[in-house]
Amino acid sequence: MNLEITVLQIILVFIVTFIAAIDQFSFLESLYQPIVMGPVIGAILGDVTTGLVVGGTYQLMTIGNMPVGGAQPPNPVIGGIMAAILAITLGLTPTVAVATAIPFSLLGQYAVTLLFTAMSPVMSYADRAAEEANPGKIVAVNYFAMAVLGLLFGVIVTLFFVGGATFGNRVVSAIPTWLMSGLSAAGGMMRFVGFAILLKVMVSREMWGFYFMGFALANVLAGIPELASSALLLLALIGFAFAFWDFQQQTALQAAAVSMGGDDDGI
Amino acid sequence: MAFSIPAQYKDLTPAPKLDRATLNRMAWRSVFLQASFNYERMQAAGWLYAILPGLLKIHKNKDDLAASMAHNLEFFNTHPFLVTFVMGIVLSLEQNKADIATIRAVRVSAMGPLGGIGDALFWFTLVPITAGITSNMALTGNIAAPFLFLLIFNVAQFAIRYWLMHWSYRLGTDAIGILTANARQFTRAASILGVFVVGALTSLYGGTTVNVQIPNGTTFEATPITTVVSADELDRYEPLLYELDENGDVVRNAEGEPQLADGASIRPLESGDFLITYNEYDEVPVTIDIQEILNGIIPKLIPLTLTLLLYFLFVKRNWTPLQAIGFLLLLGLVGSGFGLWPSIW
Repeated sequence: MNLEITVLQIILVFIVTFIAAIDQFSFLESLYQPIVMGPVIGAILGDVTTGLVVGGTYQLMTIGNMPVGGAQPPNPVIGGIMAAILAITLGLTPTVAVATAIPFSLLGQYAVTLLFTAMSPVMSYADRAAEEANPGKIVAVNYFAMAVLGLLFGVIVTLFFVGGATFGNRVVSAIPTWLMSGLSAAGGMMRFVGFAILLKVMVSREMWGFYFMGFALANVLAGIPELASSALLLLALIGFAFAFWDFQQQTALQAAAVSMGGDDDGI
Repeated sequence: MAFSIPAQYKDLTPAPKLDRATLNRMAWRSVFLQASFNYERMQAAGWLYAILPGLLKIHKNKDDLAASMAHNLEFFNTHPFLVTFVMGIVLSLEQNKADIATIRAVRVSAMGPLGGIGDALFWFTLVPITAGITSNMALTGNIAAPFLFLLIFNVAQFAIRYWLMHWSYRLGTDAIGILTANARQFTRAASILGVFVVGALTSLYGGTTVNVQIPNGTTFEATPITTVVSADELDRYEPLLYELDENGDVVRNAEGEPQLADGASIRPLESGDFLITYNEYDEVPVTIDIQEILNGIIPKLIPLTLTLLLYFLFVKRNWTPLQAIGFLLLLGLVGSGFGLWPSIW
């Protein structure tokens, strides 16, 4: 059955998507989950039960496909919402609707990659705001980014909601792969800018050894599949051992220098 | 970065302790940690947003506030649900006007390990269990499912956020005496841990790889073929079964027995037929995988090289972060080939 779409439904779908898009990274970080979005979209389109079942189906698929360590899995926000929309408007069975929604979730992933790349240069604006001790601008940067994320997702979902599934597939296949692979490769490299800046402010000449040690040990631990998920914690313990030992040595040295009478001839 | 962050705050008198209301306000704000997430600094601006109420109470001197905001905008990434632990410790140091190098080192050392703990706690435990149970309820059409999911998840989330905030602020305040007595040594030790963690992050978060396959001629790959043939047909298979010399004749050993080729065998069956196995050689292309060679030198060589290159550009060439981002964007797009040549990513 093909339902008539009312203006109110379009507006509500847009608002719900706007909120869910922001919620996937900020706020409750749980509203966006398909198990919640399914019945909400169902309520808007007048079929809560179908929405609920589709949401549950999609949720089961995403378990074990979580945003761990900054990696971006196919986006569950657009996927979950579109699956519910497709199931209700086109009368697809839940599993078919979930499969049909996968290309749309890819588009959500693209949108996120684009935003995370585009927000990197905005950090220079935030730097200037910090130098002026201007908290208002920092707040504005955060609200701005959330608004853009919400709008991007809202527009994508609304277009597909109105335009239908074939329109969606055409849009997804029109995006050149070289552009997306280039952007996501660049996006993956941007974190090295952050690392390099941290090194610039933290590293003195005698510290370089610890940088390479951290790097080498991380490689070792990452090569052991059983330890890959706890690698950072284990590394922190090892790093702590070195730091704590150094602290004890240095304080003992200072105490010795003081007790030998004279702190200006200290070692 | 034209602005240089000083080593110390100007006003070194410790600020009054932060009250419960301010701590609670910051714990609430911590839900927006990832609002302005980006690939360069990750959660930095969201982190600054979350701790702003505390910083405004602590730093009455405008230059100090600028310095504090500037160093709190450096790369930051931790687990979003456990961030208040880092917030409490860092704010206790800010309140006591510790050296900026100390605060920075503590922040970097604390943010790393929380990522692993938080992932294990939330994404691998809490979410799969609650979502798993409630999804199955949803499949049977039980409308309570989404509400139950939201309730369990958010009670856990906010209990941890608020509790960690207060606990770690108290922890930091209690430890401040020990820290300030040996401030120089402590900063050094914390920097060691911080630099160590950045090294580990370079490897663990660095995902850049190249996908270049260079064709390198062809090779012959042996595929064993086993078949049953009758005694008459056996002659036809001779060239495949036996070792041949340059003239194409079967090589015989000292006893005059024909010598079987590599991997070949002949087994007489009761029916009088023979079960034979011989190798068939196919020509297959050989490629050199560049990433494999790089991994053979040292895994994550590209992330390490890029980080050190950018460090060099920042320190020796005075590059700004913006220039570095532009450079990486260009590198990414050139590498993907604009659709004109094959992508290397």
